[in-house]
Amino acid sequence: MLDNYKTGVFYDEMMGNNGTPKHHYRWFYQLVKQFSEQELKEKHETAQLNFLRQGITFTVYNHTGGTERTMPFDFVPIIIPKERWEEIEKGMKQRITALNHFLEDIYHDQEIVKAGVIPQELIENNPYYYKEQVGGVHIPLNNHVFLAGIDLIRDENGDYRVLEDNLRNPSGMSYVFQNRYVMRQVYPELFFQHSIQTLEQQLSELHHAVISHVPPNADPNQAPTAVLLTPGMYNSAYYDHVFLAQQMGIELVEGRDLIVKEDVVYMKTIRGLKRVDIIYRRIDDDFLDPEAFRPDSALGVPGLLRAYKEGNVSILNGIGNGVADDKAMYVYVPDMIRFYLDEEPIIPNVETYFLSDPEKLDYVLKHIDELVIKNVGASGGYDMLIGPQSTEEEQEMFKQKIMEQPNQYIAQPTIKLSRAPAYQEGRFYPCHVDLRVFVMNGEHTHVLPGGLSRVALKEGSLVVNSSQGGGGKDTWILSEGGEGHA
Amino acid sequence: MLSRVADSLYWMSRNIERAENNARVLSVQLIHMLEASDQQVLDRDWEEVLEICASTVDYHNQYDRLDTNTIIQYLTMSPMNVNSLMNGMTYARENAKATRDMLPDELWEVLNEFHLDQKEWMEQLSTTPQTQQYLKKVITTSMTAQGVIESSMSRGIPYTFIKVGKWLERAEKTARVLNVICEKNRKEAVHGTNNYYYWLTALQFLNGYDSYIKEHPPTMESKHVLSFLIKEGSFPRSIRYCMDHVLEAVQHLEQGKISHYSEDLFTMLEKVQEEISDTSIADMDMEQLMKFLDHFQDRCMTVSRMFSETYYLVEPVSVN
Repeated sequence: MLDNYKTGVFYDEMMGNNGTPKHHYRWFYQLVKQFSEQELKEKHETAQLNFLRQGITFTVYNHTGGTERTMPFDFVPIIIPKERWEEIEKGMKQRITALNHFLEDIYHDQEIVKAGVIPQELIENNPYYYKEQVGGVHIPLNNHVFLAGIDLIRDENGDYRVLEDNLRNPSGMSYVFQNRYVMRQVYPELFFQHSIQTLEQQLSELHHAVISHVPPNADPNQAPTAVLLTPGMYNSAYYDHVFLAQQMGIELVEGRDLIVKEDVVYMKTIRGLKRVDIIYRRIDDDFLDPEAFRPDSALGVPGLLRAYKEGNVSILNGIGNGVADDKAMYVYVPDMIRFYLDEEPIIPNVETYFLSDPEKLDYVLKHIDELVIKNVGASGGYDMLIGPQSTEEEQEMFKQKIMEQPNQYIAQPTIKLSRAPAYQEGRFYPCHVDLRVFVMNGEHTHVLPGGLSRVALKEGSLVVNSSQGGGGKDTWILSEGGEGHA
Repeated sequence: MLSRVADSLYWMSRNIERAENNARVLSVQLIHMLEASDQQVLDRDWEEVLEICASTVDYHNQYDRLDTNTIIQYLTMSPMNVNSLMNGMTYARENAKATRDMLPDELWEVLNEFHLDQKEWMEQLSTTPQTQQYLKKVITTSMTAQGVIESSMSRGIPYTFIKVGKWLERAEKTARVLNVICEKNRKEAVHGTNNYYYWLTALQFLNGYDSYIKEHPPTMESKHVLSFLIKEGSFPRSIRYCMDHVLEAVQHLEQGKISHYSEDLFTMLEKVQEEISDTSIADMDMEQLMKFLDHFQDRCMTVSRMFSETYYLVEPVSVN
């Protein structure tokens, strides 16, 4: 099946250079070999259809309106041996703890700035730094990051590195569960020889994390009421919202379902108004409250921020987290770990150049064809240049942009992202992958075993985002030491 | 439960029920039209079907003549007709999508599957057999949806809102069908035509022929048919059955208690119940019957409005 498969210069998750599978993929390889070509094709189609029938879709917008699409699913899982995973888990907890300290610090005493670790202007000039709105506010558990999605990649040596922190509204957790569900439905045979960490209980962990954020003024004699605030069914991640609300057993609300009266948030029910204590919002800061942020927001709830500041409602993730997960602040996360925790980062960053430094700028302009350029404020693979895959015209355009606004861009060496086999259109071929790890934070920090493996299904492409042709894979964390067992 | 969600459940249910009822009416008409004696009869029949399934006035605003294919297109696929089957099923799916966290997954899947196949149907509907197949698909989708609701939903608040929507929609449709048929009878009473065929049609439109014929073998007295479709407490599409169940559902929602906010609704529902039971169908002529049916349809609108107000389904209109 993988006879013509070439690993090339990249690190391959599954295959060694000699054409044989790596140790922890041995069983998987054997099992897949037993499928006929016909079976593989049929299973592939059944799996894709499964997503469509269940309406597990995201909406893509273009000039003709929105189209519902499914995220293509690839059945070759990313398998991670236990010891490897434990290291990732530790690294993730460490990173989130530091980032959370950082957020608490910069909205209060700014010790890290006083210590000269992070330049003041980098924080003050950040468009997502909402000091005016939430500076000095005390929040439950002092916890700003209730759910983070940390994107990891592996370089050509197979070492994990953090590519991006998502501390605002990381999406995709529903896909982790649906990928596993479909995988079990369509490829039950593959599970026979593997002992894999289960995903059950994970949503009750999440629920527990949500309800641990009780606001100071909530009625102590009653269980807190939590809701998930969605922009609505036309949002591209709506399925994610539905799934999480449903599985956690909390109400899925839209801005128009909420009202603030005397700084208390209520939802409008068939029995009148009901007090809301905790809001897991999937709406960006800007749109939360037209009184405090964008006045044109129709998605938000007027007065929400006042209720938050009064301690009448908790908002998850915290307001103003954007200052910690943008691409410029990213560079300082290892320093944050050293500063707050007095530890060395377990999972390193990707090397990153600031273009405000004239020396680096000069270097980047000269070597633009070897580097990846990213807008510090953009996400989802937009406003990004991948040097080795770009035309001269595009490079010129980016040089122009960089020179106009050097602070707006960062550069990173083009990493030889690891690859894994993907089975699409009747054949196996290598595709670049990354891994979004979900970290939940409440009374304690918990890492969801595995996460969302995203795959760039366009051959040679480095962009894994679902809006740009990326797909998903199941992620297996082996519960035995790297060895499948019978 | 959120008012918005309750509203969506209510309208999801009404839209599914409406699509099913309209599909059945159209399906019956496609068979009857084969027997229409002349163009005049055919046109009249289509006018009636339009009046039952949509609005004759709206149709004439868009088209200047009654053309069979145009009407079929109008009632099935037309985006211009808010009551077209396609629109009804699309609204139902959107309502379901907005309330997915309340619904059994299978219910969503049934409606989603219909939606996914819709494109293919749109390209195919050119012959009567294809149209009939499509109508059948609408009907079975509705029935499957009801099956899922009945077999897997807890008898709680979401379930009750779904049922109230269904019964109100049904009661209104039954009244509408009867109104149209009564009108036809009244007009033609002078000619002394055999009305057998009209009442048979009414029963077929409302899926009541089989049940009716078991109780009244093989006669087709107008009074019997009307009593059956209006007052028969055991037939699930009769006006009485539907309204009894709406009242029961609201009582269930309120756990048997009448509060100040639900008082008006209860009073109205009991009044409607009385009006139905006090009416002696046998003693009424067509004109009186039509008046009764018109009045009942107004009542349906009032009940629907009061129901929405009682549970805050509709945002109160602001005074300034």
